[in-house]
Amino acid sequence: MIPARFDYFAPSTLDEALSLLSQHLDDAKILAGGHSLIPAMKLRLAQPAMLISLGRIKSLSYIREEDGQIRIGAMTTHYEIESSARLREICPLLPECAASIGDVQVRNKGTIGGSLAHADPAADWPAAIIALGAELVATSTNGERTIHADDFFIDMFTTALEPNEILREIRVPLPTGTSQAYLKAAQPASGFAIVGVAVNLTRNADGSCQMIGVGITGVGPKAYRASAVEDALRGKMLDEQTIKDAAAHACDGVDANSDLYASAEYRRHLARVCTRRAIEAALRANRG
Amino acid sequence: MSERTFSVIGKRIPATDGPPKVTGTALYADDLRLPGMLYGKILRSPHPHARILRIDTSKAERLPGVMGVVTGKDAPARYGILPIGHDETAFCLDKVRYVGDEIAAVCAISEQIAEEALDLIEVEYEVLPAFLTPEEAMACEDPNLWIHADRKRNIEKEYHHHFGDVERGFREAIESGGAVRFDRFFQPRVTHAPMEPHACVAHWEHDGRVTLWTSTQTPHYVHRTLAEVLGIPMSSIRVIKPFVGGGFGGKSETFTHEIAACLLSKRTGRPVKFTFTREEVFYAHRGRPEQYMELKTGVTKDGRITAVEAKVIQDGGAYCSYGVVTILYAGALLAAIYDIPNIKYDGYRVLTNKPACGPMRGHGTVGIRFAFESQLDMLAEEIGMDPAELRLKNCLRPNTFTVNSLRVTSYGYDECLRRVIEASDWKNKRGKLPFGRGVGIGGSHYVSGAANSIIRSKMPHSNVSIKIDYDGGVTVYTGAAEIGQGTETIHAQIVAEELGVALDRVRVIAADTAITPVDLGSYSSRVTFMAGNAAREAARDIKRQLFRVAAELLGESPDRLVARDEKIFPQDEPQRAISYQEALMAAIEQGGTLIGKGAYTPPPEAQGGNFRGAGVGPGVAYSYSAQVAEVTVDPETGQFTVDKIWVAHDCGRAINVLNVEGQVEGSVWMGLGQAVAEEQIFEKGLTMNPGLLEYKTASAVDSPPIETIIVETIDPEGPFGAKEAGEGSLAATIPAVANAIYDAVGVRIRDLPITPEKILKALAEKRRRDKDANGHGEKPTA
Ligand SMILES: Cc1cc2nc3c(=O)[nH]c(=O)nc-3n(C[C@H](O)[C@H](O)[C@H](O)COP(=O)(O)OP(=O)(O)OC[C@H]3O[C@@H](n4cnc5c(N)ncnc54)[C@H](O)[C@@H]3O)c2cc1C
Repeated sequence: MIPARFDYFAPSTLDEALSLLSQHLDDAKILAGGHSLIPAMKLRLAQPAMLISLGRIKSLSYIREEDGQIRIGAMTTHYEIESSARLREICPLLPECAASIGDVQVRNKGTIGGSLAHADPAADWPAAIIALGAELVATSTNGERTIHADDFFIDMFTTALEPNEILREIRVPLPTGTSQAYLKAAQPASGFAIVGVAVNLTRNADGSCQMIGVGITGVGPKAYRASAVEDALRGKMLDEQTIKDAAAHACDGVDANSDLYASAEYRRHLARVCTRRAIEAALRANRG
Repeated sequence: MSERTFSVIGKRIPATDGPPKVTGTALYADDLRLPGMLYGKILRSPHPHARILRIDTSKAERLPGVMGVVTGKDAPARYGILPIGHDETAFCLDKVRYVGDEIAAVCAISEQIAEEALDLIEVEYEVLPAFLTPEEAMACEDPNLWIHADRKRNIEKEYHHHFGDVERGFREAIESGGAVRFDRFFQPRVTHAPMEPHACVAHWEHDGRVTLWTSTQTPHYVHRTLAEVLGIPMSSIRVIKPFVGGGFGGKSETFTHEIAACLLSKRTGRPVKFTFTREEVFYAHRGRPEQYMELKTGVTKDGRITAVEAKVIQDGGAYCSYGVVTILYAGALLAAIYDIPNIKYDGYRVLTNKPACGPMRGHGTVGIRFAFESQLDMLAEEIGMDPAELRLKNCLRPNTFTVNSLRVTSYGYDECLRRVIEASDWKNKRGKLPFGRGVGIGGSHYVSGAANSIIRSKMPHSNVSIKIDYDGGVTVYTGAAEIGQGTETIHAQIVAEELGVALDRVRVIAADTAITPVDLGSYSSRVTFMAGNAAREAARDIKRQLFRVAAELLGESPDRLVARDEKIFPQDEPQRAISYQEALMAAIEQGGTLIGKGAYTPPPEAQGGNFRGAGVGPGVAYSYSAQVAEVTVDPETGQFTVDKIWVAHDCGRAINVLNVEGQVEGSVWMGLGQAVAEEQIFEKGLTMNPGLLEYKTASAVDSPPIETIIVETIDPEGPFGAKEAGEGSLAATIPAVANAIYDAVGVRIRDLPITPEKILKALAEKRRRDKDANGHGEKPTA
């Protein structure tokens, strides 16, 4: 329960952090809220020789609206998102997802950027980020690039970030409505998702589905977009049977996990039920 | 006689040791820092079962900062909490018997170095086949492979009891048109998970005496074992219990780190501290065993229980610990809640290559209560009777001896049942709520102090002394261990009430073997009853001394005096009072500092029958609990919530209402944890969930609303009529929830914990069954 020895740096600018990182690519790790990394270090599952803390870089912590996007700094805590009155108005999925994470202590320290970069297969944020069609801004000493949420998660604990990159910002296209919901069946001890389903949708004037994003976490090795569910609903009238039939495709092509908390079969079942219920909840949530 | 009114008994008194706890100034073992203190760590086995061929500690010893290393040869004496179960040594000598078994300990100038040193100890093993279930263990005929060479086929102990004639009982049930059922149930291994992990500091001083501060429930038993293992007299050992952050049974015997701290302190001449990681707490374990239960029960048409036949197999892990007690409790206490004329019990305590199980809140009774109370509901359905009604029909009477010679004195189970039936609106809910919602009932009980001591000694089980000096302060010395359950407050209240002084005059000094008289410890829910009686006796001793002098001053006979509100006066003549202080000064002037003492020894009538195994089960009294749980089940996912618990607990008399409520609610939480989540899971002998992020225990935030009803039966022998409140309510929660789930969706879960996945599977099976039944043109079942 004692981490291996490491050096600790807490630069006050992003540039300093990036240059430190580029100099120690093999042995440095970024430290955000520390709520995934430190436990891993205590168990010696991770043994970085150097930690570069982003804690002093105030400019990484914000929620603002710009160019038709909601922009969230990577160091923004779960709690800051959960408690944002503005987000509750314009993109309720974000605070709802944040509020479902762990417990108060975890939400006070943990960050959205840390969670996304960590890519725990049972983390909540990835589902929301996929459902919202967000873009992630990665920065390095070589410059910046944006990665679409769909391309960000590669595998368990593996993302598209290069070793020299820091996730700087999350950009969420400003939703045109509030038909959103996050529904999770939580692992009872930690609160992590056994299954978590995020839904973001808009409807045409006739009530049919115009756009829908469904992100699912907890089921497989990484969070994914439930394309088959989306395809089955786009353009359709959203009646009970249609939703139910669409939700049956929640795990198409996904190899479901089996662990101490749920068998693969139960996970798949839960994913379908939660998907249907999340879509229904999103429809109810519309304040149009 | 009309009930007298009390000054501090029966009130809601906040814990007297609460302020330092909530302000963070209370010192727990891990908070202690002595000059020059070293940090210890334990090397544990990675194999469930292996012979140790060689241990080489030389590299570890050479690591800078390492001050000492000890292994089995440094303390080879065998010990164990039970005289018949001396199968442990401080460190493994020849074999390791579970993943986590202790092989060596090091101490160093920092925890980091101590941990690094563990990696440098070389151990060569010959891996042996591991027994991971009782079935595998009992099937082994090769003595070379048995976990302990002298435990044939790995059976620690088996008991076969038969009281009355169960076959006759079953016949009677059938002939009356009643029902007989046979069912199997399973309880998984669960652990106490106290908030504070085990921790201790030992200091071996140059005069050859050693002091051990340790987080323990049983300072006296630790004291004894240390003397045996360290080979020095008890008088050279001082065991001090600092603040303890919970035990629940998991700190009721001597553990390796306590011995290691003493050995290493002796070797280095410096104090040595050990604090377990959470993972190590799971290895130390001593929690509930996996328990396989077969239960056959008969009831007559009109709902009388005629016979019970139970077979219980416990997977006790690698050492005996309290195991023999656990397997006996499971059988013996079947008789102490319902009136059952015929009981047959076959109990097997089996050794396996997993951490040793031991006592845990509700010791031995919890699994079997789940089974029994579940089966009662099934029987009620078969004879078409309300399950609450069936329970009411089978209550014992106060002041009876059961078929297996347990002496039941006060008995409030029937009243507990009536109170929760009424409070929960049972009659309008059971079977009447919409599909997906339901209520269930369950009952439980527990000894209020075991009538026989584990160590088979004739000495009193509790001793308390009191000192009062010129300052007027009342100092109470007790060996009883406050572990968060509130016993210091109880001692203070009893003494204040008896002496008629203000509560804040009383200071309790507890559990320091050099200062306080012997008490057997905080287990079997014995402290309020036994130490409470001893405290009352000690206060009476003081009172006699005060009254003798006060009587002279008042020109009265001492028997006419009463003490109340800091005054002493003749009965019914408060206007003639002299103050407590005045009487005290006069008494001290005559004979010096006032010293009083009291002791408690269980009465022989309570000590049980005369057969092999009769020593376990007898309590000096029994507490009772009835509960109703209301649940909502989501039939589509199996997920469910426990919406409310009504609990009525017969604690004889609530000496401290606040404390009783706290203990009862805590029991319900623990029961809930076990009902819905807790299970220590193993794969090839390795604990898969040794942490609180994986092993879910219920906490305050998970609590449904709990309505606690206190039932007072005023026990004839309890202090002011009090019995236990800390354990008896745990077991009833589990079957109440299981029965409520049945009421809600018609499926019965027979293996704990009750998880959404199990409910969903059972629902699918039920649907299939109902469909088949329909297909065959039969009526669908409910
Ligand atoms: C008790 C407990 C319960 C929890 N329950 C939940 C839950 O229910 N749902 C859930 O989703 N999560 C849960 N978590 C995880 C929690 O949300 C973490 O805070 C989160 O996963 C990681 O964020 P962090 O800021 O703490 O990152 P850290 O732990 O500091 O870092 C995590 C990883 O990301 C890297 N990293 C961090 N920031 C960046 C960046 N800006 N750019 C590049 N790499 C970066 C780090 O190097 C590290 O590898 C729980 C954690 C705990 C301890």
